[in-house]
Amino acid sequence: MRRHILATATVAVAALSLAACGTTEPSSDDAAASAKPAGKITLTDAKGTKVTLDGPATKVVATEWNVVEDLVALGVAPVGVADVKGYTAWNTAAPLTGTPKDIGTRGEPSIDTVAALAPDLVVATSDLSPAVVKQLRKVAPVIEITSADAADQIGTMTEGLDLIAKATGKESESAALKKDFDTSLAEGKKALADAGLGGAEIASADGYVASNQVSVRAYTSGSLLGAVNEKLGLKNAWTVKGDESYGLATTDVEGLTGLGDVQFTYVANDADGDAFAGPLAKNAVWKSLPFVKAGDVHRLPDGVWMFGGPRSMEAYIDSLVDALTK
Amino acid sequence: MAVIEKTAVGRDRSVAATTGAVAVTATLVLLVMVLAAVDITQGTADVGASEVWDALTGNAAAGDSSVVIASRLPRMVAAVLVGVALGTAGAALQAVSRNVLASPDTLAVNAGSYLALGIIAVTGVSLPLLASSGAAFVGGLAAAAVVLGLSGLGKGTVRLVLAGTALALGLSAVTEALLLLFPQETEGLYSWNQGSVGQNGFDAVVQMAPVVVVGLAGLMLLARRIDALALGDDAARGLGVPVRGTRVTTVVVATLLSAAAVTLAGPIGFVGLCAPALVRPLTRRFRGLVRSRVSLPVAGLVGAALVLGSDVLLRAVVPADTAVEVPTGVVTTVVGAVFLVVMALRLRDTASAEAPDRLRIPSRTAFLVTVVALAVALVGVLVAAVLLGDAKLLLGDVMNWAQGRAGRVVTFVLDTRVPRVSAALLAGGALALSGTLVQAVTRNPLAEPGVLGVSGGAGLGAVLLVTTVQSPGSWEIAGAAFGGAAVTAAFVFGLAARGGFQQNRVVLLGVGVSAAAAALISLVIVLSDPFDTTKALTWLSGSTYGRNMPDVVPVAVVLVLGILLAVTRRRELDLVALDEDTPRLLGMGLPRARLGFLVVAVLLAATAVAAAGTIAFVGLVAPHAARALVGRRHVRVVPVALLLGALLVCLADLAGRTVIAPAQLGAGLMTAVIGAPYFIYLLVRTRR
Repeated sequence: MRRHILATATVAVAALSLAACGTTEPSSDDAAASAKPAGKITLTDAKGTKVTLDGPATKVVATEWNVVEDLVALGVAPVGVADVKGYTAWNTAAPLTGTPKDIGTRGEPSIDTVAALAPDLVVATSDLSPAVVKQLRKVAPVIEITSADAADQIGTMTEGLDLIAKATGKESESAALKKDFDTSLAEGKKALADAGLGGAEIASADGYVASNQVSVRAYTSGSLLGAVNEKLGLKNAWTVKGDESYGLATTDVEGLTGLGDVQFTYVANDADGDAFAGPLAKNAVWKSLPFVKAGDVHRLPDGVWMFGGPRSMEAYIDSLVDALTK
Repeated sequence: MAVIEKTAVGRDRSVAATTGAVAVTATLVLLVMVLAAVDITQGTADVGASEVWDALTGNAAAGDSSVVIASRLPRMVAAVLVGVALGTAGAALQAVSRNVLASPDTLAVNAGSYLALGIIAVTGVSLPLLASSGAAFVGGLAAAAVVLGLSGLGKGTVRLVLAGTALALGLSAVTEALLLLFPQETEGLYSWNQGSVGQNGFDAVVQMAPVVVVGLAGLMLLARRIDALALGDDAARGLGVPVRGTRVTTVVVATLLSAAAVTLAGPIGFVGLCAPALVRPLTRRFRGLVRSRVSLPVAGLVGAALVLGSDVLLRAVVPADTAVEVPTGVVTTVVGAVFLVVMALRLRDTASAEAPDRLRIPSRTAFLVTVVALAVALVGVLVAAVLLGDAKLLLGDVMNWAQGRAGRVVTFVLDTRVPRVSAALLAGGALALSGTLVQAVTRNPLAEPGVLGVSGGAGLGAVLLVTTVQSPGSWEIAGAAFGGAAVTAAFVFGLAARGGFQQNRVVLLGVGVSAAAAALISLVIVLSDPFDTTKALTWLSGSTYGRNMPDVVPVAVVLVLGILLAVTRRRELDLVALDEDTPRLLGMGLPRARLGFLVVAVLLAATAVAAAGTIAFVGLVAPHAARALVGRRHVRVVPVALLLGALLVCLADLAGRTVIAPAQLGAGLMTAVIGAPYFIYLLVRTRR
């Protein structure tokens, strides 16, 4: 019995070795170093790392959806994107262009796959662990973007966009995007004021139901949606404290009783179901809430990524104004 | 005359016994009521005691009363139902298996139910509650059937816990893999996994209450037969009690109860194990509690008090807003773990180490053939591990890379892949050796760094450092892991040593501590980084993801030291593993030798955790399998266990990186998926 195992193993290893000989790529002495065009780009990323590029990056890999959106919005089709399927479901404001390769999950992108793509720039975010960034730096130049910072979400968003624009040589596109965003904000603010909603209290949320427990995620004033709401002249009604980067807080249905008479907007996605219209609709606490009674509960359309870039936020402003002024 | 006196005394006793039992029950009912009253005054809404009173008397504002009726009361009732169901189920399972460690947790019932619910979540089908409860029941029952089928009812604690732990690990690994693969679909399921009694209205409670009542009634009907089983199978048969039928029915009913609890609140850890354990000392004092008809409901009440108490404690200690994020199950697990440790220390059960498995002693040739076969297999796996991945390479690429003249892509790929393969190889070897040493010192085939909580302690140490310090270095992480491991090891071994490493005591202590460590890791991550469950899962599931070469150095250094020690001290190791007396007769300093081996074992486990996260199973399977293959002499066991451990983790890492590429699964998940069936096969094969 054991001898059989031994024999089989030996044959297997021998076969494997034979089959595995040869190379998939010529060794570096064979490949003549091709001359790169001049026009180096030097920039300092959000973590303070100095990154030098030989020229505007075109083969770009992105590890988070917000930077994917920035790239797409700037007119750069990324070659590698984390969780393509998820992005397609959650971000329709800036649909993917080209046919990017899926590099795995956002939390743990496959470094093998990124390496095999041989990109000339990897855009990572502060959510990726330092050890992984260190590995990615061996593969290609990496710029790290701050994903979110509760102290200044809009500033963080535009800084990230500018960094990516600089690395890809799309600075004029970036300026145009920012201008569009500002216009959108101003128009939205005016539309809301005209509808008599200036200074109205708003609470944005999303929610999940697992088994029979509902958890509500509050977008406090430190969140990106919260910041945009305030720019639109609305007042954030959440009193719970959000986390330091995303400005999110978890609460339950009871926690909604402190909100009072507000405009309640929530994000859901058909891919995951709607906790508010579904399991919560029959809940007595929910039904007793003043904004539920007044019909001031609004589901925002699918595909507006709550942590995205200017494109997502413009889509958000449009849908919010639509919902509130209807 | 004498006869009359005897009956008088007997009647006195039974009266005293009854009053005692009544007093205990009344006290518990009162305790549960007080806790329930406190529980409904706590929550995120601004509804305190006076508003609750107004609401209950019908004088409150509509908003307040709806909070009480649709949120507070359902949560309180759910906590009571869950506690009663789990406590009773645990007591019944322990009674019919005559095993103090039987419970929904150790029979893998919770893990089976969790997997069933996980599969449903992934398919995105939203089932009505009773249907998902049915699925949880089927999953739990299947798991319990497998465990009991493999371990045999009433045939000793060790086999049951071995089979249960193995299956639970395997099943939760599959569930966790689902969570990693379908993060959106399973959002919320991770914290739900820790168990939380919060409810969305009364619906679920109203649907589950009848199930619990039916389960309790069923157990009450079975109570007399369960008592008969306590006398032993033959005596029970003599009384005309169908032994097999009673066991099967009781297990099915107990599973139904735990499934109802899981559906209501997720797996609330340890209540089923603790509640009966807390009743047992009471039984000794109040003889009236001996009968199952009394002791089962009392265990249920204790269970309710445990769950409610944890919920109250949590909200009393942390502000309500934060408390929402902390699953109740984390608290019951920590509370339960403390009780478990206390119970373990009071355990008077003298079931010392079982007679060592009678193993044939294979010839020298057989040993050599085994070593060569394993070495060849390991080389094969290593070659495959280096070549395979999202980017398939060929050996020539590796040659080029080794000589530093590979092309750009190959260099990138191998620069990141080789550290991962090395981490898997070394962590596997280190865990196997650590398990071998611990099993020798404790003379306990169940003991391994994972089961004993040492790996969990190491993980906790590392997670604390990673969440508090910005980008710590490899040696710092290894140091923090060692700190955590050393504290848990000192605790577990220190307490276990007092009983001469008694089988049950060591396992109880270890199970308690490792569960507490896992719960605390979850707690640290929930509180510090609530929206990054991937990070939590990666740490808890053991992964070589993102390892760089320097991260591997600590484990390599310690492994070399460990191997040197095991080789030079192989005879002492044999003696320590033999029995208590022989080493003393030979003039060996037994305590010092034990301590030395344990320190090395802890170092090995800690550095392995720092390199690859908490990987369970390897330290259990590798030495066990090695002994089965080549006998119990350490000169043979050590090399075979090392090879097996390295092989297992490398294979797991390879599979985790490639099977669902470009997404990845942790090596720890894969060792459990690969290791569980193998381990169960071993259990079946060694059954006599």
